[in-house]
Amino acid sequence: MAETEEEVDVLVQRVVKDITNAFKRNPNIDEIGVIPCPEARYNRSPIVLVENKLGVESWCVKFLLPYVHNKLLLYRQRKHWLDREALVDITCTLLLLNPDFTTAWNVRKELLQCGVLNPEKDLYLGKLALTKFPKSPETWIHRRWVLQQIMQQFSSVSRNRKKQHQAEGEQADPERIQQIRDQLARTLHQEMKVCSDASCRYPSNYNAWSHRIWVLQHMAKGNVKVFHDELSSMRLWVSMHVSDHSGFHYRQFLIKELINELSQTPAPGSPQHRSSSVHSGSHSYSCSQSNGELPVAEAAAAEDADRQLSFTTVLQVFHQEMELCSDLIQSFPGHEALWCHRRHVFYLWHHWRREHQQNLNGSSNSATETVLVNSSDPGSPPSGGGVGEGPSADRPGHAAEAMDEDRALLPEPRDSKRLKRGVLMPGTPTLSTEHNFVSSVLDGCCNLEQRRFAQAYRKWLDTVIGQQL
Amino acid sequence: MGSFILHGTQVKDVIIKPDAPSSLLLDKHADYIAAYGSKKDDYEYTLSEYLRMSGIYWGLTVMDLMSQLPRMNRAEIIDFIKACQHECGGISASIGHDPHLLYTLSAVQILSLYDNMDAINIDKVVEYVKGLQQEDGSFAGDKWGEIDTRFSFCAVATLALLGKMDTINVDKAVEFVLSCMNFDGGFGCRPGSESHAGQIYCCTGFLSLTGQLHQVNADLLGWWLCERQLPSGGLNGRPEKLPDVCYSWWVLASLKIIGRIHWIDKAKLRSFILACQDEETGGFADRPGDMVDPFHTLFGIAGLSLLGDEQIKPVNPVLCMPEDVLQRVSLQPDLLS
Ligand SMILES: [Zn+2]
Repeated sequence: MAETEEEVDVLVQRVVKDITNAFKRNPNIDEIGVIPCPEARYNRSPIVLVENKLGVESWCVKFLLPYVHNKLLLYRQRKHWLDREALVDITCTLLLLNPDFTTAWNVRKELLQCGVLNPEKDLYLGKLALTKFPKSPETWIHRRWVLQQIMQQFSSVSRNRKKQHQAEGEQADPERIQQIRDQLARTLHQEMKVCSDASCRYPSNYNAWSHRIWVLQHMAKGNVKVFHDELSSMRLWVSMHVSDHSGFHYRQFLIKELINELSQTPAPGSPQHRSSSVHSGSHSYSCSQSNGELPVAEAAAAEDADRQLSFTTVLQVFHQEMELCSDLIQSFPGHEALWCHRRHVFYLWHHWRREHQQNLNGSSNSATETVLVNSSDPGSPPSGGGVGEGPSADRPGHAAEAMDEDRALLPEPRDSKRLKRGVLMPGTPTLSTEHNFVSSVLDGCCNLEQRRFAQAYRKWLDTVIGQQL
Repeated sequence: MGSFILHGTQVKDVIIKPDAPSSLLLDKHADYIAAYGSKKDDYEYTLSEYLRMSGIYWGLTVMDLMSQLPRMNRAEIIDFIKACQHECGGISASIGHDPHLLYTLSAVQILSLYDNMDAINIDKVVEYVKGLQQEDGSFAGDKWGEIDTRFSFCAVATLALLGKMDTINVDKAVEFVLSCMNFDGGFGCRPGSESHAGQIYCCTGFLSLTGQLHQVNADLLGWWLCERQLPSGGLNGRPEKLPDVCYSWWVLASLKIIGRIHWIDKAKLRSFILACQDEETGGFADRPGDMVDPFHTLFGIAGLSLLGDEQIKPVNPVLCMPEDVLQRVSLQPDLLS
């Protein structure tokens, strides 16, 4: 056991080296942890590498952390010199033990700026720290900074190449641009994985989910495909984590962004139309799939069908989400997160419909009218997870006034048309279907919490939505 | 163990045992805070050094609320703060750490408690805060650029205590905070982020200090905040999270700021907070039976003050400081009625 200062010094330097060597020996380490072990075992390193897991024996942490911590602070105060290699090693050890030590991340930012570290290395270190500390705010903050560096690098590379080619009277090198795009798509994908892992390790992980939102806002802005894929891949996740309010909030975010993108009606023939995903401003180089290089004529021709498809997609997104929500509420009674989700999705739907119906009433665009179909359309599949649809006989009187207006906003059943592609629009929720849903939940439900949440939802419909009508 | 988490039903809550503390143990808490830090081992101290300045603010504020501030070492603390101010004007959590808005606010709060603002270079602090405002009105936490509504609060709270609010673009700052408002009336850390009681506290506090509380949908937000109260009486910070003394403060303070504090069951909340005391060591934990710390001790005491406990000095809900301190610097943040 190390006792004197000198002994601690020797011990700690050895352990820091052992950690560095472990990473050299196995570049695929994917998890870190502390191994409970109150006493040192003679002649054995406290750093244990088993398969891809790196463990530190607990006895040495109380020597290790204060030592590397103080070393770094002395360096920061210019009282002790450390070379770059030592700084890299010390901050690595330090951050794996205490990832909220902001200043240590800042030292690494400086090392990154002068090219000693590369961004991918730091994303990797952060990923490992998150396996043990999935909430660590400073780790997430550092990731955002690193990702911004990566995006800036890419956008300056592509800008420079464009300039260079223009000067030579050539087109920008499409191959190189594609490479950059692929790399960004890979980074985006990895980042989503890091978020997923952290969300599984700690429920309602605010930092992980708000990071995920940030990543999409900065690396996939307007990219309908990415948002769509996220929405589908999250479906199973939320079904298995029905208490995770943050997971549901993420879906709400995706839906909101998706319908905003899909509901945009740009000027006819605009080359930007099909490429709402290109927001290649100076710092946000979107890794979009479509890049607005379609011939103008073709784009214009596709526009009508496109718009119709967009509206159909919006309706489908809402319909599927309400259905998912109903299923989960009925399968897992008494979960507040599910009821909160219902509120938000209905709220989004309610506003989207009001906004777009108003726009559409004055327009003569028949393509868009066809997708607005009354929920009581006899051909519609039942929505609401088996909840009775159709004109309701038992509509609660207290919201009747609001609901009448609600109905008036929708076209008459006979106006509903089949879409050109032969898809019949699913039923969409209205205040009355929501009230029916609540009644059906309350009928014969003896779960007290479920009753409480259902009643709160009813009250919310009456006061918040009812008053907005 | 005084708490027990219910797994059988879906309600995530704690059960308060009949023998849980039900009266306020003020002397114990003062002793706990006064002794805190003197018996810390190297490891524990190291782990939390990155937030030391805020730790000192929590300890001093709770001592002042209990009228025990003179027991703390004023001279040592002021020297420490001086040593933490950097060239740029910003203040760090501890010596050798990098400056940040979070610790700049804590330091300014401590100096307000001690009525000793001149200990540091105030003009430099103002310059630092001003320099962190971005084009869109938001504030970065430090020179590395992380954006969060918490930092908007830190910026205006610091400037309000220094009487220098006019040095930043307040309209733009307000615009950014309002862009983080959600459909449920709450606020998140950035536009599009989930509502969170801690962020709501920062944002309502921010709007109070900037005179913009009328922009809040008080009924809608009040509704969401009240839904944080669980059967145990404690409040959580988001749906389906466990109740917690610190979230109880953030929710309660926000309700006070928007004039809806009477919407929750105050008596039940009081018993929850009291049950989080440790009768032996003094101090409050996040939940009954857990380990106490200065952070939850401040928010326990401050919460009881907002609930009207007369053994404690009145606390200001926006700045979490004793009202008499704010009167001294003539700062009276708006509250909705
Ligand atoms: Zn807490």
